[in-house]
Amino acid sequence: MFEVKNLTKIYDDGTVALRDISFEVNPGEFIVIIGLSGSGKSTLLRCINRLIEPTEGQILWDGTDITAAEASELRRIRRQIGMIFQQFNLVKRSNVLTNVLAGRLGYVKPGLSLLHRFPARDREMAMQALERAGIADQAHKRADELSGGQQQRVGIARALMQEPRMILADEPVASLDPVLAHTILGYLEKINQEEKITILCSLHYLDLVQRYATRVIGLREGRIVYRGTQEEIRRMTDEEFKEIYGEEAERVSAGLKEGGT
Amino acid sequence: MAVQSNKKADCAPLVPGPAAAVASLIVPGLGQILARQIQRGLILLGSVITIIILLAWRINLLAHREIGALAKLGKALDRRPFFILFLIICTVILWLWIAWDAHKQTRPGKQGGLSIFVLVIVIFFSLGWQISQINLYKMVVELPDALPPLSRVLWPWKAAVTYNTEEVGAGADILIGCDDNPPPPPEEIPSKPYLMAEPTCGELSRLDENNKVVKGSILTLTGRGFAPNMETQIWWKDSIGNEFRPRQEGKYVSLKTDDDGGFTFKLIMPYRLIPPSAVGKQIHRVEARQVTQVGGPIASDPLKLTIGRMAETIFMGMMATLFGILFSIPASFLAARNLMSGSWITMSLYYLTRTVMNIVRSIEPLIWALIAVVWVGLGPFAGIIALTIHSIAALGKLYSEAIESIDPGPIEAIQATGATQLQTIMYAVVPQMIPSFVSFSIYRWDINVRMSTIIGLVGGGGIGFLLVQYIRLLDYRSAGIAVWFIAVTVATLDYVSAEIRARFV
Ligand SMILES: Nc1ncnc2c1ncn2[C@@H]1O[C@H](COP(=O)(O)OP(=O)(O)OP(=O)(O)O)[C@@H](O)[C@H]1O
Ligand SMILES: [Mg+2]
Repeated sequence: MFEVKNLTKIYDDGTVALRDISFEVNPGEFIVIIGLSGSGKSTLLRCINRLIEPTEGQILWDGTDITAAEASELRRIRRQIGMIFQQFNLVKRSNVLTNVLAGRLGYVKPGLSLLHRFPARDREMAMQALERAGIADQAHKRADELSGGQQQRVGIARALMQEPRMILADEPVASLDPVLAHTILGYLEKINQEEKITILCSLHYLDLVQRYATRVIGLREGRIVYRGTQEEIRRMTDEEFKEIYGEEAERVSAGLKEGGT
Repeated sequence: MAVQSNKKADCAPLVPGPAAAVASLIVPGLGQILARQIQRGLILLGSVITIIILLAWRINLLAHREIGALAKLGKALDRRPFFILFLIICTVILWLWIAWDAHKQTRPGKQGGLSIFVLVIVIFFSLGWQISQINLYKMVVELPDALPPLSRVLWPWKAAVTYNTEEVGAGADILIGCDDNPPPPPEEIPSKPYLMAEPTCGELSRLDENNKVVKGSILTLTGRGFAPNMETQIWWKDSIGNEFRPRQEGKYVSLKTDDDGGFTFKLIMPYRLIPPSAVGKQIHRVEARQVTQVGGPIASDPLKLTIGRMAETIFMGMMATLFGILFSIPASFLAARNLMSGSWITMSLYYLTRTVMNIVRSIEPLIWALIAVVWVGLGPFAGIIALTIHSIAALGKLYSEAIESIDPGPIEAIQATGATQLQTIMYAVVPQMIPSFVSFSIYRWDINVRMSTIIGLVGGGGIGFLLVQYIRLLDYRSAGIAVWFIAVTVATLDYVSAEIRARFV
């Protein structure tokens, strides 16, 4: 259903962030992208929904090339692909409900939405999404009054409002503590399994990767240097992990034990 | 090793200590330069030269009529002995100190030392004291004279109200030059004031050949039926109906009625020239008048004018802010680096906008008002133009900085949902802009109202215009009313704007 072919991204300043990346994604997978800081993970995820313009290559979505899509078609494709971020990227001064409703912007009539009006169905859907995320009681708070974990749940709820077929997650737990990291990833896994939403996620910690990934892609300096299945990654030792990842790699469990949980 | 010795040679003084001291004695600072303390030497030399020039200028000003240096010095010493003597002594000490300092600078490890600059600074500030004409003596001595107008400014409310007045009075005819048949005393009407003069004829005061006043006859005035215990004015009306208030010993004649509303008073008949063309009997009239207030207090003209001008001022500030906001929004987009970094064309537009804004902003609104007055003439519109121009530049800068500092994260998040460009702006950009936008706009409104209170000083309308007029007319009470209104408005505005900003941020 989704395929990246020979994707290359060269930034205006000449930085080659991605070189000839190719991979395929099957529906329902939980693919984790690993790699050192600066290896191109964020660039890759943002090229997929063209928040960043790829320089070369193709991204095929149901056979349509996203890189060649017209503005309106691009928007139609974007609304099927949810995205969550390390910094949550909520509109801090808007309330939680508005942030979640923003997930429907690709569907609603533009005129009404500019006045912050949404169909009743969408509002119901938003409340359900918040309920599922366990933060329905926070719906009318300002987004920046929530804790980090709660904000990421709002981010996920916003992505789910798109009724997405795939979710891109750029280090969704990197700014959260280890316990919260597991809750959030567990939530993503549940979504992945129950609704068969494909997940493409970049992560930092080996044990999180081992626990949640069904497939792993390793990046270094913009190239794919590792591809592994769930079994392979579960057998992986710290040494092998560090080879792809570099010395920065660490296990989140160390942090968990210190935290006394 | 070579490098080290080289370095040492670099630092080593060119001349021994005494030589440096002598050099500095001849040219201050030269010794320090020879001791390789070039910066120090130049600063000291520059200071001494400046001090001497300034001192010479002041001496010359104090004795500009004298010819010859010594005569000038003598005259200046005569006029400001303490100041001139002090500065000359300080300068001599400085000169000697510089020589000693040069000697010290040649000794290794003893360089530096900032105490000499304390003296330099003391001399400069003493000069500054004189040049800026600070005069504490005057401040103290003239304070008593300043107190009455000051107290009128501080508590001007007497001028804020007036009363409608009504005049009641009574008069009696007086014949100039007595003859057999002087006019009878007037008839008394019950419940009306009544005035009687005794006698009913007499001579006016006049001037003799030597321009000396020859006093006229004395009339005994008796009054009845006036309001009791009240100030009563005496008026004189001549035969052709001209009336005036006679003076006695320089003061207008007035008296106070007793508890029953009556009085008796001795009036010297005033000076009045009777034209030679006058024919027949000259009958004048003396009147006693009381001015009473009717009804409650009403707002005085200065109060009404002040309120009107205050409203004008506040609206000037509001209009200027409105126009400023409208024009500065597009300008701020041009001045936001993150929006304009696309190509060199947009970048040069960015630099152009920034530069123009900085120049416009650095010129005070008062100067803009002077220009606007030339352009559209005196009045509030000129003030609005001046404030608008300044607001556009100031707000444009603030807004553009707000745009530059918005978080791009929410923008990409909203874009990723498949939102259109317009939706992205409404959902991700606008909410981020609102707090700074509101806060800067309110802040600017505050500044603009404040500025419009003084922009009238140069003819830009508003209350400042009124204020200078009152001050020039020495009408300190009315000026005080304007000052009070300005103070209260500014304080209120300060509070309100802080309150609104606190709500929004
Ligand atoms: N806007 C940009 N302009 C130029 N170079 C960029 C830009 N964004 C990223 N890069 C460069 O592209 C490379 C890949 O960056 P990217 O952000 O994709 O890395 P990453 O793997 O997400 O790193 P991290 O783990 O730190 O988030 C880096 O060398 C980075 O410096
Ligand atoms: Mg990244």
